[in-house]
Amino acid sequence: MITFEGVTKRYPGGTLAVDDLNLEVPAGQTMVLVGPSGCGKTTTLRMINRLIDPTSGRILLDGRDIQQSDPPALRRGIGYVIQQAGLFPHRTIEDNIGTVPMLIGWGKAKSRARARELMKLVGLDESLGRRYPHQLSGGQQQRVGVARALAADPPVLLMDEPFSAVDPIVRATLQDELLRLQAELHKTVVLVTHDVEEAIKVGDQVAIFRPGGRLAQVDSPERLLTAPADSYVESFLGFDRGIRRLSFLAASGLSLDDTAVVSASTPAWEAAEHAARTGEPWLLVTDAGRKPRGWAASVELRALPREATVGDARLSPYGHTFGVSTDSLRAALDATLLSPAGRAVGVDDQGRVVGVTSYERLGAAAEAAEPAAEPSPSGRS
Amino acid sequence: MDWSQVPELTWESNKLGVLPALFGLIISVPLGIVCVRWRWLYPPVLSTTSVLYAIPSLALFIVLIPYTGLTDTTVIIPLTLFSLCVLVPNVVDGLRSVPDPVRDAATAMGFGTLRRLVQVELPIAVPVVIAGLRVAVVSSISLASVGQLIGVSSLGYLIVDGYQRAFLTEILVGGGLIIALALVCDLLLVLVRRLLTPWRPRRTRRQLPEVVAEPVPALAGGAR
Repeated sequence: MITFEGVTKRYPGGTLAVDDLNLEVPAGQTMVLVGPSGCGKTTTLRMINRLIDPTSGRILLDGRDIQQSDPPALRRGIGYVIQQAGLFPHRTIEDNIGTVPMLIGWGKAKSRARARELMKLVGLDESLGRRYPHQLSGGQQQRVGVARALAADPPVLLMDEPFSAVDPIVRATLQDELLRLQAELHKTVVLVTHDVEEAIKVGDQVAIFRPGGRLAQVDSPERLLTAPADSYVESFLGFDRGIRRLSFLAASGLSLDDTAVVSASTPAWEAAEHAARTGEPWLLVTDAGRKPRGWAASVELRALPREATVGDARLSPYGHTFGVSTDSLRAALDATLLSPAGRAVGVDDQGRVVGVTSYERLGAAAEAAEPAAEPSPSGRS
Repeated sequence: MDWSQVPELTWESNKLGVLPALFGLIISVPLGIVCVRWRWLYPPVLSTTSVLYAIPSLALFIVLIPYTGLTDTTVIIPLTLFSLCVLVPNVVDGLRSVPDPVRDAATAMGFGTLRRLVQVELPIAVPVVIAGLRVAVVSSISLASVGQLIGVSSLGYLIVDGYQRAFLTEILVGGGLIIALALVCDLLLVLVRRLLTPWRPRRTRRQLPEVVAEPVPALAGGAR
């Protein structure tokens, strides 16, 4: 656990970077520091491994004042990842990753073995171990940066805008990897970013800074989106926070309709009658294994010859499905918006149709979830 | 002319060219480190090395003769001082070429100042330092021939002797051998750099120092 007690940093020249910060980073959680540039978030991060010393106040690491510790020794116990990875250009990937193990005296063989282990962990091919950093892509370099920070298995990981130098697709992948790693390793992570989307995606807790180095709000991402403390936080979060909040609500809370689901072997006239009775303009056609095949328009079913089955109808693609037990309401809404029929298909873990959405049902699910404040980890993807 | 002298004279020229550059390097590395650490020191150091370089070599030889006599030392000391003018800025530039994120990462991983210098900053400075060393060696080899005027023999002997005897071939042989020696030393330094820095990207856009200080590949290509 990392605790800031009344920490202030004033640079020579009078700039107040951090103003009386009180913050607690619980062990094993990811705390994201986010805010506009010049708000003191990076200074805050760099005070944890004493790259910067505070002007006043105390920082405690597991209850011990870090001001009492020797900086190099302290730093070897804290992983550090920075924007451009900061890899050593003159060392191979293996030796880069093995840097801290070498520093603390593991010896070459053990350090290299550890490096290979970590390359696997962060999803790098072992064959890259003998290469030099300039031979890797930006995304690969960033993975090496993370592996290097984890090499000596430090309980604390500091990340300073770790993903901002890579393109959006690689960034999203790296963010997912971080979530996966964190679910496995449970490090105490402090991550600085200026990207509020990133903060909401990877943070267990998000600390929003305002200019002048003061905290605006510290809360779980879902609480921030539901109840921003003031107009600054609200505007910082952006205009579509209502929709983004749906990421934290599981799609399992959605009641799905299966009256519009018909098997491909159903006679067309029967399905047409069923559609007329229920007033469904579209029916979802499934195969014998209840996998979705496509949408049939009810009017077209009526026009089919009497001996035809639903499977003979012209089908519109069903688009994206969403996993009822794995996806969020946001994914369900997205799939619905993109579907030609205006409703999306919810499937179970085996890809079998559970039912279809409608805007009314989505609305009801969002409304029902309103009072609940518990973040749903499954809703993050 | 007496061809049998040529190997010995070449060896002398080589010694008078390489030793000053080596001694210059030994002085420049700590001096450069100090100038990077305490920035205010750099301008006066730089001015001093420039002033030293501006002194005519012959004048310095004569000043030194009472102390070191008509020996190699009398030539090596001035050439060493001259080499500082190239080497100190290159050591400083080399150390400054270490990207900030790299230095930052080293510190944050728990490198102390000395260990960071030896294991991270100096190795990364090697290409720029060697670029300076190449210039220093080449210019020392050619300047060493001036030592002939005070009787310190080198390939410069062939030029002076040829001039006194109005023997053009000897002058051309002397000059040609000095150039050839300089180019061979330069090529060797390029090889040393390749060996020391296997990590450097080949053929990138950032090749400015390469272009400025590498006439050798063209020559090697022509000689093939």
